[in-house]
Amino acid sequence: MKLFIKFDINTICSLYLKEKLEEQNLNFSSLGFGEIELEENLSTDGLEELKKNLSPFGFEVVENQKSVLVQKIKDAIIELVYTDDNNNYKSSAYLADKLNHSYGYLSNVFSEVTYSSIENFIIIQKIERAKQLMLINEMSLTEIAFLLNYSSVAHLSTQFKNTTGITPSAFLRIIKKRRENLK
Amino acid sequence: MQKNALHILLADDDEDDRLFFKDAFEEVKVQTKVEFVFDGLQLMEHLHNPDTKLPDILFLDLNMPKKTGKECLIEIKKTDHLKNLIIAIYSTSSSDEDIEDTFIHGANIYIKKPSDFNALKKIINEVITLNWHYHTSGLNRDNFLLSLK
Amino acid sequence: MKWIPNFNSSGSLRFIFIIAIFILLFLSSITYKHNQDLNESSKLVMHTYEINIQLEQLMSAIKDAETGQRGYMITRNSRFLAPYLFSRDKVNTSFIALKKLTADSPKQQENLKKLFKLIIQRYVSFENCLKYSEPRTYDKRKLDNHMFGGRILMENIRFQVDKMNDIEKKILEERLKKYDEEISLSPFFSISLFLAALIFILLAYRQISNDIVRLKIYNKKLLISSGLMAESEVIGKFSTWQWDLESNKIDYSDNQFRLLGEEPKSFIPKKETFLEFVHPEDKETIENSIQGIIDNKRLPFVYYKIVRKDKQIRYFKSTGKLLVDQQGSKILLGINFDITDEHLLNIKLQERNNELEKSNQELASFNHVASHDLQEPLRKIQTFISRVSDADRAVISDSAKEYITKIETSAKRMRVLIDDLLLFSRTNTTKKEFIKTDLNELFKNAISELAEVIDDKKAKITVSDLPKLYVIPYQIEQLFINLIGNSLKYSQPDILPTISIESEKVLAADYPELLDPSVKKYHKITFKDNGMGFDTQFKETIFVLFQRLHSKTDFPGTGIGLAICKKIVENHKGYITADSEINIGSLFTVYLPE
Repeated sequence: MKLFIKFDINTICSLYLKEKLEEQNLNFSSLGFGEIELEENLSTDGLEELKKNLSPFGFEVVENQKSVLVQKIKDAIIELVYTDDNNNYKSSAYLADKLNHSYGYLSNVFSEVTYSSIENFIIIQKIERAKQLMLINEMSLTEIAFLLNYSSVAHLSTQFKNTTGITPSAFLRIIKKRRENLK
Repeated sequence: MQKNALHILLADDDEDDRLFFKDAFEEVKVQTKVEFVFDGLQLMEHLHNPDTKLPDILFLDLNMPKKTGKECLIEIKKTDHLKNLIIAIYSTSSSDEDIEDTFIHGANIYIKKPSDFNALKKIINEVITLNWHYHTSGLNRDNFLLSLK
Repeated sequence: MKWIPNFNSSGSLRFIFIIAIFILLFLSSITYKHNQDLNESSKLVMHTYEINIQLEQLMSAIKDAETGQRGYMITRNSRFLAPYLFSRDKVNTSFIALKKLTADSPKQQENLKKLFKLIIQRYVSFENCLKYSEPRTYDKRKLDNHMFGGRILMENIRFQVDKMNDIEKKILEERLKKYDEEISLSPFFSISLFLAALIFILLAYRQISNDIVRLKIYNKKLLISSGLMAESEVIGKFSTWQWDLESNKIDYSDNQFRLLGEEPKSFIPKKETFLEFVHPEDKETIENSIQGIIDNKRLPFVYYKIVRKDKQIRYFKSTGKLLVDQQGSKILLGINFDITDEHLLNIKLQERNNELEKSNQELASFNHVASHDLQEPLRKIQTFISRVSDADRAVISDSAKEYITKIETSAKRMRVLIDDLLLFSRTNTTKKEFIKTDLNELFKNAISELAEVIDDKKAKITVSDLPKLYVIPYQIEQLFINLIGNSLKYSQPDILPTISIESEKVLAADYPELLDPSVKKYHKITFKDNGMGFDTQFKETIFVLFQRLHSKTDFPGTGIGLAICKKIVENHKGYITADSEINIGSLFTVYLPE
């Protein structure tokens, strides 16, 4: 029997984080975007222990300010891509607005830290969502193009191909055949 | 960026290709650690070894003696502790059927060996960047497909 | 079995026969009646003359009496009285006879009574005359009276007798007339019946002789055709056999014997005898098939081997059908073909085919592997060249720099050649899967492949609606790429390239020298450009492998592109032609079957 399980990373991560923090008896409040305010200051050892506990699950305690900002930018972008209202936000305006910095500044910090651009990241996220919509929601390309604010199906296909190197139809075909292979 | 160096493993029997690869990785912005194996058997032995630290990305040549890249790919995907490896096929063929075939059998990335060194550098950059995004941004590894030919 | 001509004789003959019998019976009854009638009429005549005679006898008796009386009266001799006395008896006898004879006519009976009265009166007169002529009682006056009276009575009697005779005559005449009438018809009747019978017999004769003629003709035809059949069996190397299921009799045609390696009619065929000839491997199959025909009324083609007396093995192909004719009898008709020659030929062909396929496969894999393996060292050359950094180049000699550049160029050219060769071999070797594809999709893919060049040259490409056809998608895409790519490559330097692609359906009949007429319709797709064109004399050679019309320094190219196009079109059982005018443009036409 086939099941599609969609999971919300945020829920899982928050729960795990909460668990681990509570294990260390740390009182905290969550500020969203992975930002945590600890009631008390943590010692270096405590910090190391926390890092050790969190690392098996890929958690990283980010101390660098810029990294924090980049993380926020990423989260904001993800939120933008994954919400369904078609208000045609221009992403630059949206980010500048949300994070209270000029887009130019955000762009620079992002490139500095990640060595890749915000635009690139946005495209990657959109294509990722397109993949999800294709596989799990089984939406058509036309529907996906509309939902993700592409000017046309051709535009979506071209971007898909440019990002992944294969056409959306080829992608779908391959994933299907992969699943059949695994049976 | 990544605190730890990115761990890369290349399985290729050709000396020159390994040289190109090494040189290209040296010129990449990210910190990397590159290891080599020389054929399919050696690769599987290496991977099955419990002491081995698994690489972040495995670059796999298809035309290898003793055990072909495809055979290794299939075996890796069948092995529990290996099946989540990010695998990039690194090959001379550019036929769509071959590419699709490797994707179907579980490869995440397909790279056609370029005949220009700068092109190789560019490709490796793209792979690393994308891979990093997959690591850090919660993207679905099952849907990670990239074809560079 | 409808082809047996239906001879009508039996039906009509029966009919004619029955009619003839009836006619005969009729005729006999008429003849019998005729006879009877003749009998009757002669009897009637006799009857009348009998009466006549009797009446005359009566008269003569009375005359005798008269004469006797007269004699006595004259001579007074009593001897003369004897006849007078005897006459009375005679009269009585005659009278009795007459009474019998006239029993059938009441009128005559009346007359007879009257006559009788008259005769009695005469006798009374006789008595009186005798009395009055006796000397004792002589009375001349009375005597004269009575004599005179007697004379009148005699006349009356005579008169009455004549009357009676006349009546009888009349009766006779009437009756004879009646018979005559009746009799006169009979011969007429008989003759007409006779004629009718004659006509029927003639008809019957005609029918029978017609039938006989037809029978003879059919017989002849049958003989000829069975002769031809036997000949064709010999020529065509097949034979027939029949098995009458009711009488269980099996008939072999002459050639059946010969095919089995025996002399015609050399043995009596039975079911078992045939099986003896069948090769042991196939015996079971054949037994089942024979049973199969009886059950299913037909035998689909069955292939088996037989072994002849001379140990030769022949390959047979047989089929059969159960026929039921008009009378309901079941006959199994079987046909055997000796296909040994074809079979052996087939085997040879098969072997040759296998060899060809193997050699083809070897060639194909050689092609593929060669191109593939050639790529490796080439790639190395190019990569190493690209490793020679600008810094390195700065310190080497000018000639060395130049040499490296030339190596680069040659390597590039080799790459293109190998790529094209690889493409060419792939056009041949990969499985040819025909899928119904929308050519517009393939066109779009081709355009996106050439997107950069199109942008570069600012080319304008227009396309009409393309059909959906059963094609090998990637090959047709390659076709588009090659043709459009060519148009872009050979565009005129200062004119923006315009390429228009159009499609229409055409009939094979309109292009008799070019298209295969067994496929009725083709899709004609034209690729028209305004490029530099080529000389029409080359319109066939440009499709030849490695043929180029320009030097490679002027235009990069391998000469394989159009050869690949031709191969692709041929894979789809289509055709491709080219036409051009220098400095005006070129037109490539692709015909793909419906």
